[in-house]
Amino acid sequence: MTSRSDNNLIVEPVARLIEEFGKLPGIGPKTASRLTFFLLRAEEEQSRALAEAIQAMREQVTLCTRCFNITVGEICPVCASPTRDQTKICVVEEPLDVLAIERTGAYRGLYHVLHGHIAPLEGTYREDLKIDELLARVRGEPVDEVILATNPNTEGEATAFLLLKDLAPLGVRVTRLSRGLPTGGDLEWADPDTLGSALEGRREL
Amino acid sequence: MHVTTLSLRDFRNYQRLDLQLSPGITLLYGPNAAGKTSVLEALYYLATTRSPRITADRELVRWEAEGEAGVTPFARVAAEVQRLAGRVRLEVIVQRRADEDGQLTNTSTRIVRIEKRPARALDLVGQLRVVLFTPADLTLVDGPPAERRRYLDITLSQIDPHYVRTLAHYQKLVQQRNSLLRSWRERRRPPRAVDDELAYWDQELSAAGGYVLAERLRAVAELNQIAGPLFCAISGGETPLTVTYQPSLELGGLADSGGLAARIGQALRATRREELARGQTLIGPHRDDLAFTVGTVNLGRYGSRGQQRSVTLALKLGEAALMRQRSGDTPVLLLDDLLSELDAERRAHMLEVIQRPGQQTLLTATDLADFSPEFLAASTRLRVEGGRVYPS
Ligand SMILES: [Zn+2]
Repeated sequence: MTSRSDNNLIVEPVARLIEEFGKLPGIGPKTASRLTFFLLRAEEEQSRALAEAIQAMREQVTLCTRCFNITVGEICPVCASPTRDQTKICVVEEPLDVLAIERTGAYRGLYHVLHGHIAPLEGTYREDLKIDELLARVRGEPVDEVILATNPNTEGEATAFLLLKDLAPLGVRVTRLSRGLPTGGDLEWADPDTLGSALEGRREL
Repeated sequence: MHVTTLSLRDFRNYQRLDLQLSPGITLLYGPNAAGKTSVLEALYYLATTRSPRITADRELVRWEAEGEAGVTPFARVAAEVQRLAGRVRLEVIVQRRADEDGQLTNTSTRIVRIEKRPARALDLVGQLRVVLFTPADLTLVDGPPAERRRYLDITLSQIDPHYVRTLAHYQKLVQQRNSLLRSWRERRRPPRAVDDELAYWDQELSAAGGYVLAERLRAVAELNQIAGPLFCAISGGETPLTVTYQPSLELGGLADSGGLAARIGQALRATRREELARGQTLIGPHRDDLAFTVGTVNLGRYGSRGQQRSVTLALKLGEAALMRQRSGDTPVLLLDDLLSELDAERRAHMLEVIQRPGQQTLLTATDLADFSPEFLAASTRLRVEGGRVYPS
């Protein structure tokens, strides 16, 4: 355990790293000091590589300005690809959901990542999601179908419901993944076959 | 139905307990704090996944319980239940959680198994049906409305698996919706497109609320048939007890789930302004209440202690009868130190019910002198002392 009084005995740079590690999810004070003292003893090269990896991740990884998936550079590979179907947008909650759908091999259109779902209890509201950005795309791009692939749980349904209300006046076809997915589950955990058939069996809203 | 075996490990003050239970009356007696009530609590927990007396599950784990290497302390409750539909084995493990440094935290995890297969807590509810009587039950009559809603909810949850799921969903929806209303009330967000943002929550809340409301109304109608006359028998009076459901919105005579859902939807729209001002969902089953009247007298407010006790007893016996009526199976009665609270008249009624053939009852008492020799002869007596149970 590192308490404040311990920290007075530890030199400032070490205490600072322990503190930073401790802010990471799943890492408590004991693990944080274990990691720090491990780096202190290890080859200097190891610390340098870690610092550089973190910095590079921060500097290079951005959100695609079109679909908001994580990427390197301005536009992600999916948005940049001339072979993707430009008339379809699949709307998902998280970047991991894009990976899950790509793994099915059943979808050749574009994506839009909302970065969350509607959950007032968690403090996530409409304006916290990339919803206005989606509406702008539907207005400006040659889209004829928007597939709502938010999770099949209460929050995901609430998000889909709100999106449908926003999209309906724009005259675009709106569909939702079929109910083959386990209710209450997460897209990223659905196996590729189930997710693939949920995509193919999508229904009009 | 009846419980044939109950086994506890590190539950409350029991390090280990393996009990064979008779299908009739079991009398657990011994000094206070010996562990009598914990046996009833264990069965109640298996039936409802809740303890009647605490809020945090971790308190169920025996204080001195030691974990094994790499395993934090846990309590285990398991029982075998013989029902009309066949035998079932139920098990719940409550395990204390440790932080990464191995220090026990105030949280716990729960593992539920039915027939040795992992199950969700909601699936456990209704497998074993119990009705619990405790001296604290008087709050059912003179306590806050939440006590009366809980009475209906626990009864219905044990009878109807769809009810327990719909109710859980409904309660989550109320919380989400309240958070949304509060975000506007506290001016953290501009009240733009309020109707659009509420539309989904209103629709779901109405649908779930309609079902909960319809089932509660049906249960209250049945309870009036049962508990009304029971009250006369118990209190020795002529005028039956009337249980009235007091909804937080005008129901317009509707009783079906679809109609009630539509009614809740309308009422939500009509209360919009006030809900925004208060930052709360103001109507729906979570705001409803029950009233108990005899003739024109509201017993919650004006009843004597004796009358209130009669109401409690009529409601509890009514709950048991309702379960029997709906499922054909008799629930297990758990009577915690109750007979000492009852006068001779009420005690006679209670004893009549528990001596019915096919009725399993577990009751606790500190003093055997409260019971007649005939009653003692008809029951299995177990002496409880210091977290151990001895046959006598
Ligand atoms: Zn992109």
